[in-house]
Amino acid sequence: MGDYVEALGLVFQWHVLLVIGGGTLLGLIMGALPGLTAAMAIALLLPLTFGMPPVMGMGMLLGTLCGAIAGGSVSATLLNIPGTPSSVATTLDAFPMARRGEAGRALGICIVSSFIGGIFSAVVLSLLAPPIADFALRFGPAEYFALSVFGLVIIASVSSKSLIKGLVAGLIGLLIATIGTDPVAGVQRYTFHNLSLLTGVNLLPALIGLFAVSQVLKDVVDYFGPERAEHSKNEMDHASPRWMETLRHWKVLASSSVIGTIVGAIPGAGGSIGSFLSYDQAKKMSKTPEKFGTGHPEGIIASESSNNALVGGALIPMLTLGIPGEAATAVLMGGLMIQGISPGPTLFTDNGSIIYGIFIAFFVANIFMLLIQWFGIQIFVKVLQVPRKLLMALILMFCVIGVYAVDADIFNVYLMLGFGVLGYFLNRYDFGTAPVILGLILGPIAESNIRRALLLSSGDWSVLVTRPISLVFLLVSAAFLFFTLWQNRRQTTSHS
Amino acid sequence: MKRLLGVLGAATMLASSMSMAADYPSKNIEFIVPWSAGGGADNVVRALQPSLEKALGATIVVRNLSGGGGAVGFSRAVASKPDGYTVTIPTNATFTLEGLGNVAFKKDDFDYIARVLVEPYVLAVRKNDAWQDLDSLSSDLKSSGEPLRIGASGVGSSTHIVSLMLGEALGLNIEVIPFDSGSAAVSAAMGGHIDGVVLNPSEVISAINGDRLTSIVTTGEERSSALPDTPTMEESGHDFELSQWRGIAAPKGLDPAIEAKWVEAVKQAVEDPQFQKAAKSMGSDISPLYGDELDQFVERTSKPLIEEAKAIRQ
Repeated sequence: MGDYVEALGLVFQWHVLLVIGGGTLLGLIMGALPGLTAAMAIALLLPLTFGMPPVMGMGMLLGTLCGAIAGGSVSATLLNIPGTPSSVATTLDAFPMARRGEAGRALGICIVSSFIGGIFSAVVLSLLAPPIADFALRFGPAEYFALSVFGLVIIASVSSKSLIKGLVAGLIGLLIATIGTDPVAGVQRYTFHNLSLLTGVNLLPALIGLFAVSQVLKDVVDYFGPERAEHSKNEMDHASPRWMETLRHWKVLASSSVIGTIVGAIPGAGGSIGSFLSYDQAKKMSKTPEKFGTGHPEGIIASESSNNALVGGALIPMLTLGIPGEAATAVLMGGLMIQGISPGPTLFTDNGSIIYGIFIAFFVANIFMLLIQWFGIQIFVKVLQVPRKLLMALILMFCVIGVYAVDADIFNVYLMLGFGVLGYFLNRYDFGTAPVILGLILGPIAESNIRRALLLSSGDWSVLVTRPISLVFLLVSAAFLFFTLWQNRRQTTSHS
Repeated sequence: MKRLLGVLGAATMLASSMSMAADYPSKNIEFIVPWSAGGGADNVVRALQPSLEKALGATIVVRNLSGGGGAVGFSRAVASKPDGYTVTIPTNATFTLEGLGNVAFKKDDFDYIARVLVEPYVLAVRKNDAWQDLDSLSSDLKSSGEPLRIGASGVGSSTHIVSLMLGEALGLNIEVIPFDSGSAAVSAAMGGHIDGVVLNPSEVISAINGDRLTSIVTTGEERSSALPDTPTMEESGHDFELSQWRGIAAPKGLDPAIEAKWVEAVKQAVEDPQFQKAAKSMGSDISPLYGDELDQFVERTSKPLIEEAKAIRQ
């Protein structure tokens, strides 16, 4: 208790609050720019924290992280360009809604859902971190494999137009994921002696190419096409947070926040699939699953509450076990260690006031995220009034800069352009690009873990069904697959 | 005429290289980190950065070129001019990459300026009452006949290679399971999915302090300050010593005068209390080495790593 009081004192000083707010604002801006990821935003601000006391420094970085994830959905909504991998699922419904002229409504729902997801995960983080971390440790290779199979089943659910085409797109992703050094034997596959491919195809150029560049190409074609679509929509609805509309879907909010937090807490589960899982699950629970993918509020709520809940979830293993789940928390952990604090179980006993200070700072960062977006929403929607030809040129520029900045490797820019062309054709012929991303994220997790599981069991496949968590995931995957096929069949028969 | 121009050219080049060393550094210095921001090597460079900048009187720009598990960054460093404006952070990965044959550079393509930090490798196992120390671990494994399943931080990484070498040195049947990162291996060991890990102290220190893993033995010359109670291999009666290290290197052909300036700067930087605090929290020991001693260290450390890595490739 004394620690909490001391921690409150550490956070509620005007300069600490100012720094957290500043971090959140910078995170929002960087997250909204395609190509700049949350991890990169944090790495950029990291040196600034060296001179700060730990809670202040971590507060700023946490603000940056929350802001970047939330900012990623602004560009996802308005431009169909996910700023971060975890906002890919947001594009599925938010962009169609914005295209209808309801950009303000789509953003309003995003803001409220992000805030609630973030706050939910902050509560879980401060109350339940140790038991959740223990649960996360029960994931061994077999469980990770089963979880990724479960994730791959979602491909069936996010391929809105045609199931077969969605599966083809998913397989393209899985195939591309085989490029690089074999994770267990160390043999090179399809690298053609290119050093940049040794560790496989970098996710970010693929993401930016498939979503942003392909969208730019589409707009260019539309611009010169018969319709001459100069602006996407000129009329603009009222832009403000949509509290009531979002809270009405409290079931979706609750389940997506839970899924986001838990998936975030399982290190190396490919964090960004959390929003896909929530989207998929919201669609299955919905009374109107056929509306998903057409600009349905439930889809936005599911993805957005989940991807912000992911942040708090990801902090759980990092702070309690010293295990960072993905790139952004790895940089955060680096920041803590440079401060002279090693995360892990001892953090709670040795530095109680600091860890509680970090919890409180995370709450504060989420509140700043809400406030900044509340005022910012009016400015965000103005983006749509910029003539599309100018906007597209700007977007392409940011994409090139952002992707180059990942590894300072020009090869990634070529890769991005290649994926852009691929994405254009995939969209044009209704294959979709989200399944490719799912395949790319989950392929390596599935492959390396099934091989580790079999190494550990000396080649005995029964580990996949004798381990309870793995068995549950595989059974649920099978059930979901049949359910989706059945839902799909019912829809096609009712349409005809 | 041509000859005169040639002589003049050579003279100006010589003069410019002399003045280059005299007014070095006159522009920003690029520090290539061949791994992404937030990794172990990146943390070291960023912790050193402020005091190095002060000592050298120049701005250091950290560039993370993280492709190919270090291959891209090191290759780029080797290919740049040895003018002292491009440096990188050599580690054991510099040697294992060569051994695995994925890269065009060799360990001799670098001029090693300094060794800054060393970290031993530590064998840490999951909680098991029969595995308190090296003796109880080996006798338990020998009586059960089971292999010891050890997680390493990646296929062909130095931890993978050291795991195999430890197995040979200790006469234990060690099976190496490569994970995607050190932290993934630690979490698998904490969850009891594998028997243990061979990693550097910084990666296992929270798990050991949190009483989830037991450290058995370290491979350093001396005990690691992060794990003062864990004996070294030498102390346990095995002739085996190999450490992970982090230092500063430039592409081959660095002007000795510039190298001397760097050595001076590193000597000052390692005295910086802020850096010492950071090194301690990262679980590393500050153990600077320069000149001939450094070259001997590089020779002694790289030889077994390159050989074993070549063997993995077969």
